Amino acid sequence: MTADPVLRDRFFKKYHGAEIQNCIQCGTCSGSCPLAEHMDFGPRQLFAMVREGDMSAALHANTMWLCVSCYHCMVKCPRGISITDHMYSLKKMAVEEGVKAPKMLHLYLSFNAPVEKHGRLTDVAAMAGFGLRHPLAALGNMGLGMKLAAKNRLEFKPRTVSNIAGFKKVMEKAKELERLS
Amino acid sequence: MKYGFFPGCSYKGAAGYKESTEAVCRSLGIALMEIEGWNCCGATSYWSTQDLKAYVLPARIMALAEKQGFTEIVNVCNACYSTLRKAHEKLAGDNDLRQKVNLALAEEGLAYSGNLKIRHLMEVIVNDLNADDVKKNIKKDLSGLVVAPYYGCQLNRPWADMDDAYYPVLMDRLIEIVGAKPLKNYSAKTECCGAAQMVAHKDFCIPLTNRIVKDAVSKGAQTICTLCPLCQLNVDSSQQGLGLPKIPVIFFTQLMGLALGLAEKDLMLNKLLTPFKIAV
Repeated sequence: MTADPVLRDRFFKKYHGAEIQNCIQCGTCSGSCPLAEHMDFGPRQLFAMVREGDMSAALHANTMWLCVSCYHCMVKCPRGISITDHMYSLKKMAVEEGVKAPKMLHLYLSFNAPVEKHGRLTDVAAMAGFGLRHPLAALGNMGLGMKLAAKNRLEFKPRTVSNIAGFKKVMEKAKELERLS
Repeated sequence: MKYGFFPGCSYKGAAGYKESTEAVCRSLGIALMEIEGWNCCGATSYWSTQDLKAYVLPARIMALAEKQGFTEIVNVCNACYSTLRKAHEKLAGDNDLRQKVNLALAEEGLAYSGNLKIRHLMEVIVNDLNADDVKKNIKKDLSGLVVAPYYGCQLNRPWADMDDAYYPVLMDRLIEIVGAKPLKNYSAKTECCGAAQMVAHKDFCIPLTNRIVKDAVSKGAQTICTLCPLCQLNVDSSQQGLGLPKIPVIFFTQLMGLALGLAEKDLMLNKLLTPFKIAV
């Protein structure tokens, strides 16, 4: 293991992760997580690694990408640590550090792209973007797509916010403020 | 009663959710006024990938609501509820962040004060309406119908202030108000359905929906009742390969519509994937 105090520091300060120093390593989080069995490390172990400064291993783990945002761990944590929020932060840091994009990142980006463009999302737009990168997963969802289409539940035309120009100006400004911080 | 209404992106395509919500609110006199110009809340996708924009998206919705004179926003989706609530809590308590978000919103002449109340329609119906007034409108006897109340994750977690984090009872009460029987001891009522992970990691998520369905079926429920479009879609659509008896998954507004004697065009039960074939 190579300790990386700079990255750990960024997690602690920029991403408000310092509270994981209060973790008592009880493992209640890992025990309550619905997808822990598929993770490289449970949240408990992941936090131990981050505290040790083993950031490279932590940021390459699949742990945060399998978080379902169910908030089980966060409610149960005896130290009141915002575990789910730290999972969001670790995903963002992994992207900043250029880790190979996992499937869930592609799904998020396919979700975000139509939102940035139109302000609202349709399932079809998000799934089309994801399907281009993961044709097998898309094929697996094809049956469901056809059933939904047969029930007239899919929208093929994008849905656009009424004041789309204003919406885009707001998002552009947010991006600019983000850059400055 | 008048509320600012945030439908969210998945409401329209959800199986009969829109039709039944509109019809039920009409018949109970709840005025849901759609927030004009609303955008996507961003959901877990923006929390996972963006810093400031993840707050700006829900803040824009809340700012629009305030500008249009609302003091409360009613949601019909757990993910929307959770996103707006999370952003609201943070913005109300963090002046620096709120100022920054408002700098972005100022581009459109908007600002969020941090004073809105974020709510979910199911809870509004139970908490704001007089149960006896609802009961007066009941036209159909549902006393033979056993309903498994499935709440999902993001309504009561992490806050747990409107109801219990693991074993909430508000929807159980709603089921009783409309004359049906809530399934007792439904231990999967707040287990996760897999949410968006169902798209990328279906094999990991099937055991999760299996638990939700099996617990309902084995304890004698005839239908599962939901309050979130994604929960409904995941639990309804994943039953194909489970090897369990199929059970229809309906929205709480469809259950209410059945009790209120509404027509099929208002319930749209034909849009469910697992058919609702129960004689009521």
